[in-house]
Amino acid sequence: MPFIQNTDADRAEMLKAIGVGSIEDLFKDIPANLRLKMSDASMLKLPKGKGELEVTRHIHELLAKTKNAGDYAYFRGGGIYNHFVSTLIDHIALYDGSFITAYTPYQPECSQGTLTFIYEFQSSITALTGLEVANASMYDGASALAEAMMMGKHVSEDRHRKENRNTFVLAGAVNPEYLQVCKTYADVAGLKVVQVATGADGRVDGQALAKALTRKVFAVAVQSPNYLGVIEDVEAVVAAAKENEILVVQAVGEALSLALLQTPAEAGVDVCVGEGQSLGNHQFLGGPAFGFFASKKDWLRKMPGRIVSETKDKDGRRAFALALATREQHIRREKATSNICTNQSLCALRALIHIAAWGKQGFVELAEHTVAKTQYAISKLTSVPGVKLAHTGAPVFNEFVIQAVPGLEKKLLKKKVAGGLPLDKYGKGRRGQYLVAITEVTTKADIDRYAEALTEAMKGKPVAV
Amino acid sequence: MTTALANPAEAILFEVSKPGRRCLRLPELDVPKVDIKAALKGAKLRAKPAPLPEVGELDLVRHFKNLAQKNFSVDRNFYPLGSCTMKYNPKINVTLLSLPGFTKAHPHLPEADLQGHIELMVTLEKWLSEISGLPAVTLQPAAGAQGEMTGLMVIKAYFESKGEGKTRTKVIIPDSAHGTNPATAALAGFTPLTLKSTADGSVDLAALKAMIGPDTAAMMITNPSTLGILEPNMVEIAKLLHTAGAQLYMDGANMNAIQGMVRPGDYGVDVMHFNLHKTYSVPHGAGGPGAGPIAVASHLEPYLPTPRPVRNADGTYSLDSKRPDSIGKVRSFFGNYGALVMAYIYMAQLGREGVRRNGENAVLNANYLRAKLRGVYHIQNDKACAHEVVFTDKTQNAEHHISALDIAKRMIDYGIHPMTIYFPQPNVVGGQGAMMVEPTETESKETLDYFVVVMKKIASECKDNPEIVKTAPHTTPVSRVDEKTATTNPQLYCPMCIA
Ligand SMILES: Cc1ncc(COP(=O)(O)O)c(C=O)c1O
Repeated sequence: MPFIQNTDADRAEMLKAIGVGSIEDLFKDIPANLRLKMSDASMLKLPKGKGELEVTRHIHELLAKTKNAGDYAYFRGGGIYNHFVSTLIDHIALYDGSFITAYTPYQPECSQGTLTFIYEFQSSITALTGLEVANASMYDGASALAEAMMMGKHVSEDRHRKENRNTFVLAGAVNPEYLQVCKTYADVAGLKVVQVATGADGRVDGQALAKALTRKVFAVAVQSPNYLGVIEDVEAVVAAAKENEILVVQAVGEALSLALLQTPAEAGVDVCVGEGQSLGNHQFLGGPAFGFFASKKDWLRKMPGRIVSETKDKDGRRAFALALATREQHIRREKATSNICTNQSLCALRALIHIAAWGKQGFVELAEHTVAKTQYAISKLTSVPGVKLAHTGAPVFNEFVIQAVPGLEKKLLKKKVAGGLPLDKYGKGRRGQYLVAITEVTTKADIDRYAEALTEAMKGKPVAV
Repeated sequence: MTTALANPAEAILFEVSKPGRRCLRLPELDVPKVDIKAALKGAKLRAKPAPLPEVGELDLVRHFKNLAQKNFSVDRNFYPLGSCTMKYNPKINVTLLSLPGFTKAHPHLPEADLQGHIELMVTLEKWLSEISGLPAVTLQPAAGAQGEMTGLMVIKAYFESKGEGKTRTKVIIPDSAHGTNPATAALAGFTPLTLKSTADGSVDLAALKAMIGPDTAAMMITNPSTLGILEPNMVEIAKLLHTAGAQLYMDGANMNAIQGMVRPGDYGVDVMHFNLHKTYSVPHGAGGPGAGPIAVASHLEPYLPTPRPVRNADGTYSLDSKRPDSIGKVRSFFGNYGALVMAYIYMAQLGREGVRRNGENAVLNANYLRAKLRGVYHIQNDKACAHEVVFTDKTQNAEHHISALDIAKRMIDYGIHPMTIYFPQPNVVGGQGAMMVEPTETESKETLDYFVVVMKKIASECKDNPEIVKTAPHTTPVSRVDEKTATTNPQLYCPMCIA
């Protein structure tokens, strides 16, 4: 019997020890008429179990009905990126059962492995963001932003007691997945989410932002690089939020950008959240990866999620343990800072291995490599007749938007090019725009092929204006 | 004892770092080199490179393998952590998940390229629907707590559509519930009301009746309860709520006990969540990821998150986002898809018989431990239990001042991961320290017998050599850890990571 080791003889002996005649006797609290009869095939309509060989075959059959990023010259990102994932990561995090088959390190004495890596992960996030406290992970970038919103509300309830601030501002082009998740959380919490438009350069419209940041606002979030790939002036957002004491959150969609760009701490933000997929996590259709959450230490006691601290054992040796559990649901119940329990620790471990395997120099090189390829892709694609950059005047890191004409997607796919993501649905005035993403996996040959296929597809099309 | 720190394998990564070391290299740049400052003109750059560790490949591997040895895990240890269902996670899960068809499945691929994935999701939804007895399922929630939240949001949207959104503001939650229940209710904008359990841990029907009113939106019930007891009055409870126009939410974290034996929908449950990382073998990952799908009754289906994976009449599959009444998204893209794949692979192997057999053997194993340790450790409710049995430290505490915590720590010395302690909270178990043991169906009788021997041995140590219990563990890389200081004086990052 798959995965069960009790034999019939074991079962008989155990029932005897318990003092009942049959296993069903242990289920007497379920009314007899509701107990499923296995003899009745109409109940519990599940297929017959398959062995390892059969299920392997079946999975291969399902996958034969799919294509993946590896089947194309691939230029899609929008929050999940086609990065290289070192085999080191799978060897440690996936194939070795020591981390993957453990759970939350409630008992520190037999969980130092987990606790140590979480501490190292927190330290890495601190190194990347400059912010003093990072938690052990959230579900994803989107829910991390929603949690930052909720934390902003709680901070404001303390700081601005009588004001009852209720508005959360999203400054500029935030990933629509993040926006939708924030709205879902905001709806039930009775909060208002306001998005401030972007200007022609793809950055948030500064004047509109200044107007939006009233004393009704408890927190403002800016994504940088933003959904359009444009690097925002985060410092300017911090400055705009200052007068009304609004908590500033930076969201990061491509964590590799932290290798080069001004750190959230340098920019002066209170909280930085982001999607960690690009740090050593596979794509898996968007998950599991993890959200990271880092904050100035001022807000430590309002933070969501598990946090690990260094401490000592009773003999004075260095040890690690979960800390500040009084924020959490298992102690605080309805007064907890968040309801999160199971998180995405294993994905955080992957990020740590990724960061350490590239190392201080390698991580910068990886980012620089991406910038060079992005610049090449921009020059190559915008030299295609009828194609230009949608936004000029502000820098980009790994993604950019081209203005071409609608309806190119299929033609490119036929040429084995998954071109930039069509933005037609993203907002008004985005017809014929495509969000192009570059990673270290993208080769010059891929980019040239994209440009060639795009040239072909654009032939005879009216030139975009 | 600082000598241990001299071994580089014992240091943390930041401490073994040395400039110039690394593991990975990039291919040669095949496009023109750019001046980074010029290419990023207009962007502010960080003052210094992030102070990340620099290590060679051997040191990196050794570091993590060394950490691996400091962890108890299901692969190496019996891990009866109650409420968490730490069952064996089949190896095939991770092997198949490593196929490029999954690892390189990008969410923005065209729908035509995702047919096999959408089919997998539709099938998994169907299986969970069959087991729950509820017609519609969403796989989007990332974990149980997010499933709870999604469920309450759906309930809220339903009441809003009936014009009762403003009046139905209360959610009734038994005092034995997991902490996520009240935390979720508050997050979802409800006021949680705590319902005291009866002495045997079930729902006090009279008290429930008194609490239900026109302002009740829902009750969240855990069945089997966190005391490991099957709730005998589920049907009556559902009726009470429905008569008052309210909804019944079932926390299905403990589904391992009743899968294939009873369908919660048949009790009258309106919404429930599954923890696929418990019941369906998704590894717990040192804290996560998991997946927390919810199943709902038909009147709640319109409110489920989008996109919904659907099978079309022509046999193709689509992602449907045109659901005007949907609550929206709770997580980006499709949730923890990789976790869903592992649950799917596992359930495909179980099949109909296996689902039932798992529940039966999980319950058998727990009752066997109850029978074998009766009289050695106090049991608050000594009747047939479900998938877990809750002992308390009453005897050991009264006779030897030894607490559940001490007993748990001593278990480590015998190579067993401690059970869940102090949950349910002391007020639910007569003021005692709870010790919640969930063996799961995958453990053999021999392992259970070893556990029994160990627990008896510890009980006699409490008598004969209490010090050895109170100062346990003695065999671990660190002795008892000072968790208090971790909170009063937190050190949350290595000083070297702030340059
Ligand atoms: C009874 C119960 N309910 C809810 C949860 C929350 O689930 P998760 O940790 O997946 O968020 C848990 C477990 O952690 C649980 O044991």
